[in-house]
Amino acid sequence: MATFLIRRLIQMFLVLIASAVVSYVLLYFAPGGPMTGLRQTQQSGRNKISADDIARIKQRFELDLYIPYRFTRWLVGFPAGPVTIAGQTFLADVAAGCKTPGMVRLRYPDGRTEIIEEGCEVPITFADLVDRRTSRGILFGDFGLSQVMLRDRPISTLIASRLPYTLQLMGASILISIAIGVPLGIYSAVRQYSRFDYAMTTVSFVGSSLPTFVIGIICILVFAIGAKEAGFIYLPPGNAVSNKDYVIPYIGEVIASSTLDRVLHFIMPLGVLVFVNIAGYSRFIRSGMLEVLRQDYVRTARAKGLRERTVVLKHALRNAILPFITLLAGVMAELFGGAAITEAIFNWPGLGRLLVDSIERNDYSVTMGLTMVSIFLLLLGYLITDILYSILDPRIRLS
Amino acid sequence: MTTPNHRPAGQWTLIFRRFKTHRVAMWCLYLITTIYVLSMFASVIAPYKRDAISLDNAYTTPFSTAPDGSYHVFGTDHLGRDFFTRLIYAARVSLTTAITVTTVSTLIGIVVGLTAGYFGGIVDTITSRMIEFISTFPTFTLLLIAGSIAIQNSDDIPIPALLSQTIGAIMAVNEREGKQVVMIMVIFIALGWTGVARFVRGMVLSIREQLYVESSRALGASHLHNIITHVLPNAMPPIIVAYTLGLSGALVAESALSFLGFGIQDPTPSWGNMLSFANSYMFNYPWMPLVPTLPILVCSLAINYIGDGLRDALDPRVQTEVTRAKRDALLKAIRDRSAAS
Repeated sequence: MATFLIRRLIQMFLVLIASAVVSYVLLYFAPGGPMTGLRQTQQSGRNKISADDIARIKQRFELDLYIPYRFTRWLVGFPAGPVTIAGQTFLADVAAGCKTPGMVRLRYPDGRTEIIEEGCEVPITFADLVDRRTSRGILFGDFGLSQVMLRDRPISTLIASRLPYTLQLMGASILISIAIGVPLGIYSAVRQYSRFDYAMTTVSFVGSSLPTFVIGIICILVFAIGAKEAGFIYLPPGNAVSNKDYVIPYIGEVIASSTLDRVLHFIMPLGVLVFVNIAGYSRFIRSGMLEVLRQDYVRTARAKGLRERTVVLKHALRNAILPFITLLAGVMAELFGGAAITEAIFNWPGLGRLLVDSIERNDYSVTMGLTMVSIFLLLLGYLITDILYSILDPRIRLS
Repeated sequence: MTTPNHRPAGQWTLIFRRFKTHRVAMWCLYLITTIYVLSMFASVIAPYKRDAISLDNAYTTPFSTAPDGSYHVFGTDHLGRDFFTRLIYAARVSLTTAITVTTVSTLIGIVVGLTAGYFGGIVDTITSRMIEFISTFPTFTLLLIAGSIAIQNSDDIPIPALLSQTIGAIMAVNEREGKQVVMIMVIFIALGWTGVARFVRGMVLSIREQLYVESSRALGASHLHNIITHVLPNAMPPIIVAYTLGLSGALVAESALSFLGFGIQDPTPSWGNMLSFANSYMFNYPWMPLVPTLPILVCSLAINYIGDGLRDALDPRVQTEVTRAKRDALLKAIRDRSAAS
């Protein structure tokens, strides 16, 4: 067990680093970033931006450093300056970036000239890095600064403000879905081909074939717009709280940001996620249970004269639930990652929407932070699943 | 002694016969085929030009006449473009994308999975590690990022002109739009093949150990012969089921991506991006999102029903493998779904 854990942790660490490299490279090639808007301002003529301004802004976003250093500074916060060992400083003169690029004037044979950046006039050395704000490194939980969405404010603030909403939505929906979906799946399997089973399989089939955004939009049309037109109790179509008081028939006036207001806003996104998850979970449990119920040991258990309840819950369920554990590996990542599409449709201020927004607005440091968190949680989820598996299933030995 | 006057029905005939008994699946197959074939004749069927903007006609309600006297079955969008026309063209774009993406990633998955599973050893270790590595990425996040990058830098990304022209011709869009769609496809394929590969590998691992494969080897058959005559046909039924489910997955993923604005871009019509526009006008024109929702709803349900029918139709001999494949497919579907909810 101990060797297994150590090996898995090392493996996990390597995968994490590798995926960090891959996503960093991917986003490095991405367009946009803080310099885009500036170039536009510069071209517009007013508020001329000098070379110094550009250098300063580049410095703030570390765009003047070479990629490998930018990456390591982002990942582990190194180099943050010259290395000091036993009172002696090393590496102080190593160039980590370029402050002013060299300008070369090219003259073509046909008389045209063009100025291109080539080489480096003023390099940035490790010694220059001392004055900068250095992230402690994303591996140690420092996400760095947001570039666009919240200029210069730490990303952790941004995440902290969204996290409660996502935890609330995802936590509640996952718990409710498991609490309802698992029993439904069991019941459906035990009463296979009954009327209940047919109804259940049809509903869950439809639920798991339809895209979430379609279900979400239909819900808004029916429960928010339609119900309001018809004068029934309606639900607010979006956001987590409203900023104005409003009146709902039969309920009366709802005061903005009161508990009732929050509950009303919570119902629809929760309902959609619960519906979708129940559909998936119950189908999964049903197919697992059906397979197990055909096994010889279940027949043996029945032949021994055990009560049906014991057979189903003790003998069958324990085996049928195993694959379900694999399914839950992703749950933790989901819990923190949020549901991008549902959150986008219902305007729910969670991490999923933050991700979509950050990609849309080219705020890559935020995107990277969120991606890293979800990769980490996914890996952790797989690890926990493997350990749980070995506890629940004595046939499996970790090695 | 009488000789039988017909050959006994082969495996595929049997499967098809059984499939035909699944009424709903059969109807869904007709439906999808009809929609796709009709969309191939879009230029003939469509009553209006695909991008014909007419602001006076904007927001015409379905089944009604626009201010200038033209009739619109499904109404018009915020720019006065005819919804019905765009839906037909979008069917062409969305369905072709889904089919191409699923077909190519399944083919890659089969080749990689077969090689890894059949030969084992170092090839297997490397491919499995690679597959594992790619599957640790949050797929939907990566799709969003890649989509956003591809769209913003579409001029810098090299895509062979021939490819964009061919795809463009199939989808009745110009080369520039074709290129954009090709980029989206490439992203989907790059992230999509791992699932198939892992699943095929698992199946091949168990088929490889069967006695008939072993005896064929003992008789001196080559690996290639073995793979083509024994392994592949036995692995095929579950792959077909996975293919169908993958098809609906790709369709939904593409429309979700386009819905969020990182997929196929307006004016190239796709059901997803039509929905995303309609969605922003839903409070004033509640009928509007229903129009693009309908085909997404119908097609994803229909494809899933076809998959269901195929699953029931598959040979009972491979039933255990099918159940496992079915569960794997379900697991994958739920995972994909939760990533993209």
